[in-house]
Formats: sequence, structure tokens, C-alpha cells
Amino acid sequence: MSWKMWSLKKSVWVFHVNTGACNNCDIEIVNCLTPKFDIERFGMKLVGSPRHADALLVTGAVTRQAAPRLKEVYRQTSKPCVVFAMGACACDKGIFHSGYHIVGPVDKVIREEDPNAIIAYVPGCPPKPEAMISGVVKALAAI
Amino acid sequence: MSVQEIIDKLAPIKEMLTETVQTTDLRLYISCESENSFAVNKFLLEELGLRFAIATAIDRESFFEVLYHFSNDATGHVITTKAFIRDHDNPSIESLGQFLPGAEWIEREMHDEFGIEFRNHPDMRRLVLADDWPEGVYPLRKKVKK
Repeated sequence: MSWKMWSLKKSVWVFHVNTGACNNCDIEIVNCLTPKFDIERFGMKLVGSPRHADALLVTGAVTRQAAPRLKEVYRQTSKPCVVFAMGACACDKGIFHSGYHIVGPVDKVIREEDPNAIIAYVPGCPPKPEAMISGVVKALAAI
Repeated sequence: MSVQEIIDKLAPIKEMLTETVQTTDLRLYISCESENSFAVNKFLLEELGLRFAIATAIDRESFFEVLYHFSNDATGHVITTKAFIRDHDNPSIESLGQFLPGAEWIEREMHDEFGIEFRNHPDMRRLVLADDWPEGVYPLRKKVKK
């Protein structure tokens, strides 16, 4: 492992992207930041710009309107970066599966932009904060 | 106040109504053709003093229904006016947005999803569909052109 990767994994800064979620996954992500779960003790921090982020937390099946914006956010994220598909919709469109305005799950849209993107999946509707933290820790261990 | 009293108050617009159906103690449906929708809804709002709640539309394959739902908050009654648009190819109806700003956005949404033209609407821009959605494709119609 390069020293750069080692140092980045110690303090993952995350940027939160909603691409058409019902807001439930977003509430659980905010819950991760509360004192009860407090992901900042792992060095993770929610930041306000993708340019500062090492990971994207993407919630929601990607709508037609959101797809180009998600790609733009991914382009602006400093590399290397990990994309986390949070929740059933982001992983595989969920209950919006046959909706007319859905273009695809998060991994499909991201891979159109970058075929070698690192994508991790946290299923659940919504995933518990414990599941999100566990998913992030497992993904970082696998890199 | 009972539903019968509300029906009695509808006397001035009685000629314009085709049907009056009470389904429960608090629920009343009144039907009219699309030409009379404007006058009927204006009467409910301005003469009976009802509150406009929301509007919905249904594609019935051969015609469209536009339903305006009004609430009488003092008594808890919900009164729905159904307007039938018989021309399925070029559906159009007079907009309530002229005197009821609260109806503007839901009429824009119905225009996006069903392609119903709201005549004399103050601002008929696209509301809910994506910017690159093709013109003339109305996703909530029963037979969507692909």
C-alpha cells in the first residue's frame, strides 16, 4: 500500500449526494454524524464540496435529471475516491425499478463515467447507521 | 352541516352539473363537463368559501378526468369536482390559476404528466419532468408513446 493510500484511509472525508432518494437514507446518514454513532471518531467527516472528499455517499435511484449531475460530481471528486451506493434504491433502483424517470442504479451511471471506479454497496431500506459504518469499514479494509 | 345542505347550496350551478354522488358522510363528488369546470370551481371557492386542497387527473383511455378537491375545514367535508374532457387527442380545460394561485403548480404538473392543456394559465412552463425529456411524451397516460 502506498503511503498516500494509507494516509487517505485514516481520515475519509465524505460528500453526500442525493440522486432522487426519498430522504430516508439521508436521515440515516445524518444520524451517523450524531453523538450516538459519531463517525468522526473514525476520521470520517462530512464536507461541503466534492473537491475535498475522498468518498461519495450516494443515495437514491438515479433519476434522469440527476444522472448528469452525479457524473459531474464524480468528475470533480479528487481521485482516488470510493463511491458508496447507500440503500436499496442506489444499489438496484429499489421500488422505483420501473419508474419512467429512472435511468439506472448508481454503479451503472458511475461506470459510464469511469469504468474502473471503486463502488461499494450498502443495501437496506434504509440501511441502519451501524450497517453504513460497517460497509465503509469493510470497503476500506478491502482496498 | 350535512351533505344535503351543501347540495342545496349548489342550486345556482345545478344546470351545469351532470351528477352528484355522496360516497360517505363527509365525501361528495360533483361532475360536470370541462366547459363548465371553471364556473363550477369558482362558485365552490368564492361563493361557498371552500378551501382548495389539491387537483388530480385520470386517463380513462377515451377521455380525461380532472378532479379538483375542496375541503370545508369547519365541518370536515371534502367535495370533489370531476371535469370530463371528452377530446382525448387534444385535451384542454380552462385553468383555475387565473383566480387561484394555489392551483398553478398542480396544473403545470398535470400538463407535464398527461398533456392536458390549461387554457389561460399564467405560466405553463415544465415543472416536474427532466429538462431533456422529449416534448409530446406524457408518462402517466395509459398508452405512452415510446
